[in-house]
Order: sequence, then C-alpha cells, then structure tokens
Amino acid sequence: MTVEESNSKQDLDPVLTAVLANRLDGIVREMSNTMLRSARSAVINSARDFSCSIVTAENDLLASAEGLPVHIFGSNLQAASMCDLHTDLAEGDAYLHNDPYLGNTHPADHTILVPVFHDGEHMFTVCAKAHQADIGNSAPTTYHPAAKDVYEEGSLIFPCVRVERDYQQNNDIVRMCRSRIRVPNQWQGDFLAGIGSARIGERRLKEFCEKYGRDTIRIFIDQWFDYSERRMVQAIKNMPKAQMINHGAHDPFEPLLPDGIPIKVIINVDPDEAVIDIDLRDNIDCVDCGFNESEACATSNVVAGVFNCLGADVPNNAGSMRRIRVHLRENCVVGIPRFPHSCSVATTNVADRLVNITQSAFAQLGEGYGIAQGGASMGGGNAVVSGADFRRDGELYINQMFLGSGGGPATPQNDGWVTYGIPVVSGLMYRDSVEVDELKHPIEVKSLRLVSGGGGAGKFRGAPGAEVIYGSKKDVMTVACPCDGQHNPPEGVRGGEHGQKASTYKISRNGDREKLPNVIQMDFMPGELLMAIDNGGGGYGNPLERDTDRVLHDVRENWESLERARDVYGVVITGTIDGENLAVNQGATDKLRAQMATQ
Amino acid sequence: MGYRISVDSGGTFTDVIVADIEGGHTVGKSLTTPDRIWNGMRGAMENAADLLSISFIDLLQQTDILIYGTTRSTNAIVQNKVAKTALLTTEGFPDTLVLKEGGKFRPHDLNMVYPEPYIPRSHTFEITERVSSEGEVTVKLDATQTREILAILLKRNFEAVAVCFLWSIANPENELEMAQLLDECLPGMPYTLSHQLVPIIREYRRASATAIDASLKPLMQEHLREMNNDLRAAGYENEILVSTSVGGCLHVEELIERPIHTVKCGPAMAPVAGLTYSQMENMGQDVIICDTGGTTFDVSLVRDGQLKFTRETWLGGQYTGHLLGISSVDVRSIGAGGGSIAWIDDGGLMRVGPHSAGADPGPACYGNGGDEPTVTDAATVLGYLDPNFFLGGRMRLDVEASRRVTGRIAAQIEQSIEDTAFAICNLANELMIKAIHEITVSEGFDPRECTLVAGGGAAGLNIMPIAREVGCERIILPKVASALSASGMQFSDIVTERTISSVTVSDRFNFDAVNGALLKIDEDLRLFAKGLEGEGREKFKIEFFVEARYQSQVWELDVPLPVERFNNQSDVDALIEAFHQVHGRVFAIRDEGSHVECINWKGILTVQLLHPNIHTTKITETSMGKPVSTRTAFFGDGGVETPIYRELQKGAQIKGPAIIEEPTTTIVIYPGMSARVSGGNNFILEL
Repeated sequence: MTVEESNSKQDLDPVLTAVLANRLDGIVREMSNTMLRSARSAVINSARDFSCSIVTAENDLLASAEGLPVHIFGSNLQAASMCDLHTDLAEGDAYLHNDPYLGNTHPADHTILVPVFHDGEHMFTVCAKAHQADIGNSAPTTYHPAAKDVYEEGSLIFPCVRVERDYQQNNDIVRMCRSRIRVPNQWQGDFLAGIGSARIGERRLKEFCEKYGRDTIRIFIDQWFDYSERRMVQAIKNMPKAQMINHGAHDPFEPLLPDGIPIKVIINVDPDEAVIDIDLRDNIDCVDCGFNESEACATSNVVAGVFNCLGADVPNNAGSMRRIRVHLRENCVVGIPRFPHSCSVATTNVADRLVNITQSAFAQLGEGYGIAQGGASMGGGNAVVSGADFRRDGELYINQMFLGSGGGPATPQNDGWVTYGIPVVSGLMYRDSVEVDELKHPIEVKSLRLVSGGGGAGKFRGAPGAEVIYGSKKDVMTVACPCDGQHNPPEGVRGGEHGQKASTYKISRNGDREKLPNVIQMDFMPGELLMAIDNGGGGYGNPLERDTDRVLHDVRENWESLERARDVYGVVITGTIDGENLAVNQGATDKLRAQMATQ
Repeated sequence: MGYRISVDSGGTFTDVIVADIEGGHTVGKSLTTPDRIWNGMRGAMENAADLLSISFIDLLQQTDILIYGTTRSTNAIVQNKVAKTALLTTEGFPDTLVLKEGGKFRPHDLNMVYPEPYIPRSHTFEITERVSSEGEVTVKLDATQTREILAILLKRNFEAVAVCFLWSIANPENELEMAQLLDECLPGMPYTLSHQLVPIIREYRRASATAIDASLKPLMQEHLREMNNDLRAAGYENEILVSTSVGGCLHVEELIERPIHTVKCGPAMAPVAGLTYSQMENMGQDVIICDTGGTTFDVSLVRDGQLKFTRETWLGGQYTGHLLGISSVDVRSIGAGGGSIAWIDDGGLMRVGPHSAGADPGPACYGNGGDEPTVTDAATVLGYLDPNFFLGGRMRLDVEASRRVTGRIAAQIEQSIEDTAFAICNLANELMIKAIHEITVSEGFDPRECTLVAGGGAAGLNIMPIAREVGCERIILPKVASALSASGMQFSDIVTERTISSVTVSDRFNFDAVNGALLKIDEDLRLFAKGLEGEGREKFKIEFFVEARYQSQVWELDVPLPVERFNNQSDVDALIEAFHQVHGRVFAIRDEGSHVECINWKGILTVQLLHPNIHTTKITETSMGKPVSTRTAFFGDGGVETPIYRELQKGAQIKGPAIIEEPTTTIVIYPGMSARVSGGNNFILEL
C-alpha cells in the first residue's frame, strides 16, 4: 500500500469498528448455538468438538468466537481450496470438506463451507466444522491409531465436494455417506446440523452486508485485522527477547512406537520485531500409524499454545496471526503430512502434546510467563463403549462417553481449571450426566470422584483428574480409548510438580486389579469393572511458596490430603474436618518450610 | 372490589403499587430495610397511601389482596448468606456439585478461578445406597451408617439438609427412608428431597436445585412468616400471595415448603407486566421486555401471549454460577447498565464493561468516589440527565466529575468529550442489542414483529436507539416503568407446576407410562386447585408440555402437548409434528426421519385471579406538549437546545429532540423520533 492510498483511505470511527466486530461475533455464536443444540452425536453436542468461523473472500480467517482451540486456524485453508477447485462458485452452494491434505484437521471433522454473496459478489465464506461419530472407517472408531495409511484407515474422503447447489441437496453424496457410515441417521442428523449452522451464518451475513454496505465492510475488515495485529504486537512487546527449546513425547504405542513420539518445539520471541517464530521442522518423519498431524492441526496447536500465554483478550484472526510464524516440514509427524500417511488421530494426542509443550515453553521466559501443562489423557472415562442393550431387545449401541476429565494446568496467578478435559478442548466441553449415561447404555457407574492429591503441586496447583469406575450390567461391553499421559504426565513449570499419571485398570469379579496398556480396545464381561484415572494438571512455581490458606482450603475440600500438605507443601495443619477446627500451625509450618527449602 | 397491593422488596428500594377501583396505579417507594423487611414495606405503602390521600390503616383495611415479591433469596444465594447446609449424596459421587456439567467461556483464558461448589466438599456426606436406572434398589440404604452421619451433622451444627440420590426419580424408596431417619434423629431440621422438589433426570441440576432449596429454608421460612405476621399485626386481614420464578404467585405456606421458587421472582414478573401493557395498547401478544437497572440489563420474551420458560437459569453466570434447576421464566441478564465502565484497550479500541462501578462507589457523577467513566456519566455529559432532578431531585449529579472522567478517555482517542460520551452510550446499547438478539433471533423469533416494553429507572435513556437497531416499531414505556416487577404482580395469577420424568422414544412410545405420568400431574394439580379458597377460583386451566429432543440429541426443547392423553398412534404423530415445528423454528432444520425422545412431562396450572381494572380513556383530542424549560443535549452531531417536558397529560404529543422527566425515570426522544401519552397513560415511543 502506498502512503497516498493509506492517507486517502476513509477510516471508520472506532465505535463503528467495535459495533461491526461485535455483530460478527454474534453471528458466529448463533452458528455455534445451532450446531451445539441440534447435533446428534455426543462428541458434538456434549464434547463441543466443533467450531464455526467466518473467512473473508480473500480466504483470511476473520471471526471464530468460542471455537475449539484445535480448530482455530485451518478454515482459511479450506476456504482457499473451495475457491481453487470451484471456479463456478455460486450463491446457494454448500461444500463438504474433510480432506486433511487440503487444509482440514482430520477426516472425522466434516466441514460445511458456504460462500456468502452480496449483490453477486463473493464476500465471505462461512465454515461449520464438526467431529462426526462415525465416518466409515475400516474399524468402528473415528480415531484409528493403528492405521498404517489412509487406505487402512478407510475413511470416506470429500475433497471439498459440492453438496448443495441453489440450496438444493445433492442426494448422491448423502446416499454415498448413508451406505458407508455406521448409524447413518446419526450422521445425517449431524450433517443437517452443519448445513443449518452454515445457512444461519449465511442469512445473517447477508443482512449484515445489506445493512452496512460493501465498502464499509471492506474498510472494516482491513481495520479489524490491523487492530488485531496491534493487540498482538502489544502482547509480544511485553515479553523478553529469547529463544526457548522445549521437548516432550507422546506415550509409547506398542508395538509400533515403543519409544512413543518425541516432539521438539523451538520458539523465538522477538519483541523488537514483535514476532513469535515457531519451528517444528526438527522432528521425526511421518509415522506409519494414525498419529500424524495435518498441516492445519500442527499450526493450530502451537498457535493455541501461544494464545494460552497471551491473556484472553487478543482476537484470534488473520490479523493477529501475521505476528506468529510457524515453520513446518513436509513429511514430518508434526508438519505437513505426506500422502498416504494417516492423520486419523491428528486432533488429540500429539495435538495435545503440541499445545502443552508450547505453552509450558514460555515459562522459560521467567516468573509470570507461560503456563504449566494440562491433563492430556483421553482415558477410560471418555471411552467409546459399544455392545448390545438387553433392555431394548439387544439393540446395538456405540457412543463416546464424557465422564472423565483431565485437570487443567496451573498459571502464574491461579490453580488449574477443574473440568479442563484435554488441551485441545481447554475446558469448553460439557460433561455427561451419570444418569443419562446409564439410561443410554446398559452400564452402571460405581463411582466418579476427583482424585485427592492428583493435581501437580506448586505455588499454584494443577487441577486433579477424575477417577471413574464402571461396568456392564448384563452383557459383554467393548471399550476403546487411545489414552495418552500414562507414561509421560503433564509437566509442571518453574518448580511446580507434574500432574498425576493417567492409568487404566480392569477390576475382576474377585476385586483383583490388572493394569492395562494406554491404548486399549477390549471386552469387559458383566461383573468386571473398568477403572480409569485421568491426568492431573501440572503445577506452577515452588510448592513451598504456596499460600498457606490455599493449602488449608485444599485439605478441607479434599483437593489435597493432610500428609501431602505436610510432605509436599511444608504446611502443618492441625484439627479435623469433623471437628470443624482445621487450622494452619504457622510456627511449625515456617520451620518445616525453611528446613525443606535447604534440602 | 377494593385495593390491590403489590410489593417488590428489592436490594435497595421497596416498590409498592396500589391499584384502585378506577384503574389508577399509584407507586410508592421506600428504602429497603433488610433487618426488618416490614419497615421498608410499610414506608412504601404509607408513601402510596399519602399519594392516594387515605390513611395507612384505611388502605390496609380496604385491600382485598396483597402480593409480595422479594429479592431476599436471590441475594442470599449470590452473597453466600444461606444456611449451613449438608448435602447427602450416593456413595461414590461426592463431586457432583463441584464438576457441574462442565463448559467454560473463552478457551484461551486458563487463568479463570474455578468456582466453589454451592455446598463445599467438607459439608458433603456419602451415603451407602443405590438405585439402578431401571428403578431397582440395588443397595439398600445403610441405616447404621446414616445414623452415624446424622450424629455428626448434629454435632457440627448444620442448619439444613439436602438429599439427592442417584435415580431417586425412578424409585424414591431410599430418599424416603432418609427422610424418616432425619425426622427421627434430627427432629425439626429443615430438609429437601430431590425427587419431591425436581423429579428430573440429570443429577447435577437436581442436586443443585435441592441444595439451593434446602439452604434457603431457615432464612426464607423465617422471612415469609415474619412478613406475614407483621402484616396481620398491622391489621390486614385478607389474602396474601407471594410471587414466584414462573411469573405467578402462591400462598405463603407453599413457598415455606419450597422457597427456591421465590428465587428471581422479580425479573420473572417483568414479562407479565409487558404482556399486560402491550395488550392494553392493542399492540399484540408478542413482546420483548427490557428491564434496565444500574448494573444489569434483563431481557425476556412473551410469544403468542405465553411466557417463555427455561431450566437453564444460572445464578452467578453460566458455568461459573449455580444452576437453579427448576423451570423458571427465561430472563437473560447481562452485566451492562448505568454503572458499566468505558475504557480504551491497548489496540486503541473503545470498550464498555464488563467492569462496573456498581452502586458503590457508582458513577463519578454520584460523587461517592467513583473515578471511572460510566454509561451514566456519559448520559450526564450528553445532557440527558438533569443534575438537579435525578430520582425526582433526591440525588444531585456532579456534572464536572462526569466531564473529567469522560475527558480522560476522550483525550486518548482524540475526540471531543461529547462525541466520546455519545460513543460510550452507543457501545453500551450494542451489548443490550446483542442480548435481545440472543433471546429472539437466535431462538427463531423475529424482533421486528414484537412490541418492546421498557422498564427500569434507566430504560428511557437509550431504548429508542436500541429499538431502532433491533427493528421494533412499537415501543411502550409504562408510566410505572421504574416499578415493572411490582406492576407485573398486579396482573399475575396463581401458577404452579408439576413435572414427572418418564423417558420414552416416539417409535416405541410407552403409552401407559406417559399417560400415567400425565394423569398423576393432572390429579395433583386439580387437588391443588381445589385447595384454593375464595370466590372466582373455580376457573383454572392446566397446560401440558414435554421436554423433548430428536433421538441422541442432548438438549431438550419445550413442546406444548397437542393432546391431553395419548390414545393411539395418531396422537403420537401429532406430538412428533409439534416437535418438528418447534425444532424447525429454533434451529432452521426439521429432521423428518428422526425419532423424538421425550424426557420430562410437565403440567402448569393457572388459576386466574381478578386483575385490577385497566382504565384507558379514548383520546379524542391531542395536543402538542408544552416544555417547562430547555437545555443543551448532544445526539452525535453537536449540541442541540432541547426542550424538557414534565407532567404530561394523556393525549400529549412530543417531537424529538426532547427529554421527558418523570420523578423516577427520564426518557430521551432522539431527533426525528417522537412520543405520545396514550389513553392508558403510558408513553408510546415512535421511531
């Protein structure tokens, strides 16, 4: 842009800018609400594994209110593929896109794209992306860890395929899906929810264009991106100049990956140029299983890790993204996948590790920076259960439950968020009701509680994970879950301790406990119970510096035991809960803490 | 028929409205006296009696019915001043109130403080017992262990007990046995059983409702009895009713049993008032009601003359607060109001809220130490508020303070103070517009087809530009706008509801179970209706609803039942069609191929009370109102000498720019807009 142009450009007044941004935010929220409340599969309507966004005609991400972190960036790549592949783009079109080699996250995320026109001009693209309960894989799961390649994975792939023209559905595509996807009614319900969500976005954006006019909107988009960039510049300028190198690893996956997947993230913070540069190229090649990241996921998850450290208020769009550079390598497990490697599990597991390794790297900048790692297990409490339901004449059931929950990471100012889940959902997900799960599946939940002492200790404590025990009432039940965090727990930072390791046990009828591997797909007979323990979040800072009142409160509320208060936090507490006289013995505490500090 | 008194005892003010035989409505106000609610209530009634030129005793003796509403229970919950309450839960599930139902706003904000549960873990006790989802007692309640725990409760001086066991809704045996043991071991201890209070599926919401109800019992039982006794002692002999969260009212005895129903009863009454005024002015049955307070903006909706209900009412914010769990009037509250603070962020953009100066210190112009520019300060700078006539002259506004704090951010964005103030008002409007959108457009209602009724002391400042943005063409600002809740009580009926959870799917519809549930609800409600004494109470109606969803969805929609009982497949088909219609309206999608899953069955009984006369005069003559003075006000385009009007009579017409000053509210008529006083003595605003 030349200086003359910049000077002659009519600026919008700041109030109008705020008003328009607010309206767009409202539109994305309305799209999200439609998706959430009308979708069928639990993974969408409970776990909120979906996101809605608005992309400009130039394929820049404009708005994505309350979207899942793993989905933030990538809809721009998908919108670009729509424009490239369809030169006859027209009003009334809708496209189905789930191709991880064309910008999608992973095949289970069916994305509906609708181009929005105003007076014949393509102004926006709305995207409604949602994780389906089934996508026609070779095995009955949308996470296929063992898939050697896309052929073994077996998903139906739609490389941005037109599913509506002139607002009329292409029934050929719907029939293709129905004849291949398990529980086709459930898929079709979710498909309709996606179309409904995108069409609502389209309707509102057309009203938006009608009201404010093309020219104002064009100026607004430029200004909004500039504003968002300024916010990001400010945030980066508040950081010291530094290079951080951080390592971590996904748990082993026997027998394919006995050492797991090591991950290295190199981050350069340059406050002078106001740029954060992230390099993922120094990592292993794609692996012959479903754990490879797609380009969209590799990018989103490190960017999510950065945003988690910036404070909540910087808008995430193409403007703020101008200040984050992500370097990816072709044929890299955390980069740009090489066909035909499978990205079946790209949105969790390795993705969770990327978020964790990135956000905890920032703690290297000093006190007050970065956050700890969050619970990364997607364990037995969140397993896919299947079998036959004796109460309904043996009708088959298959569903992912959401009873478990990993604990959130501690931050420089606060303890971890309790119902955090995993890093890629970051607490957004809803939890199942025990009663609803028992109604829907022929199972009985024996107990569900938070694990006392499960959160990583620190000046600020990670949140504990949940422990769930359940079993089938009458017939055999199949349980599948690709749990991580059993070997390598979420780490604490700046002296904070790691959160509790996840674990899965089978409890036999006589009460014996057998430890199970992290990734399981196995049958449970009636009377046998599955016990699943989720990760606690990592702690932030030295536990000996934790405020003694917080430790007292933790003991009173069962977040920590009396023993851990003394042995880990150096806080001596007297009295009992039933005596209602718990108190900190300050003298003994000071002495103990001084003694522990020298050890 | 004599007088009819409604009392709205709020956190700061107690509003009283006295309706007389001629259809006049007189507002009395007084400061609320939390120590003894009667004093403030009496003060407000005396205030109204003075205005009516009768003695307080005469007023009481000539009154047929008194309806009382209070924010006491809501405030007690929000301020955590409820009874020390124990939660008795099924063994193995101690964290139900901690974990809630998950969910969070702002994915990248991991620095939020996780909320404390409504009842702490240290007050939660696990009881050995279990009922299966099929209603079988698989573990009998362990009486020995229970007695030990009850002994601990006694020793630790608990004041109330909430009992919520898994699947008590399928078989209440264990909860009932717990009740017997409570009566035996802790006689006189107030307690609530979950299956009796809210027999709905989902343990968190049932436990939350049960906990809230139990924790309110000691406080609200004393409060309501004291109010009742004071009123009787003062010589009032007729009926006393208390307003509830479904926009109706009940007798004191019923609310002593279930005090949770008094929570948020004030906001629930606003749509009752809104509907009344819309009908009075012949403006239809589709109404949006906006109630503007100092710190919150409440929006509610009436559609086809029906109030909208929800089970998703949170106290203290969605996800972070406590779910009320009972069905209540759907009122969306946002933290935006006169106290919201304006600021400039580090990208140079102006923002309003979410921080608020609240009532204390309040806006800078209150002169109580507020030093941040608020929306009220902006309105003061713009000349909308008369510094000498605020609250009818009860408080003087410090204009210079408003200019000083607004000037500070004006300098940051290099704008004039007035333009900055106008921008602050516009941004505040924007938050309110979004709240209106969320309850209308997002739920499939077109606000352009609705009448907007505005209430609350600050409503008149910005309701016209808000109405213009959302597209409402009909706007009513009642003369009693500042006491909208008390006004709603005047037109409320006795309303109560019963719910039974009976889950069934349309393709294998369980006729017996559903009809059984409906019959039980019907009988219960008829019995209740029969128990109401008094004349003119024979007329009642019972409406039935089901909370249903497409199979494998998780969020239900309220669907009115097309039939009273299900006799054959065509009755079920009618229900399926009714569901398709509701789903199509709300989510733009009908899924014809899907089965419908029915969760909770609900009956609402309405016993109509005699409502006060509504006196409207036919306006035969209109006249242009006469201003009492002028002052400079700003509407975004430089200062305009703006006429000020007071004490306008029926038939008066005014063209903007203008400002109407009433003792408890100020109405700003923007340039190009106009207002008139209707035959019903309401302000009708025209864009």
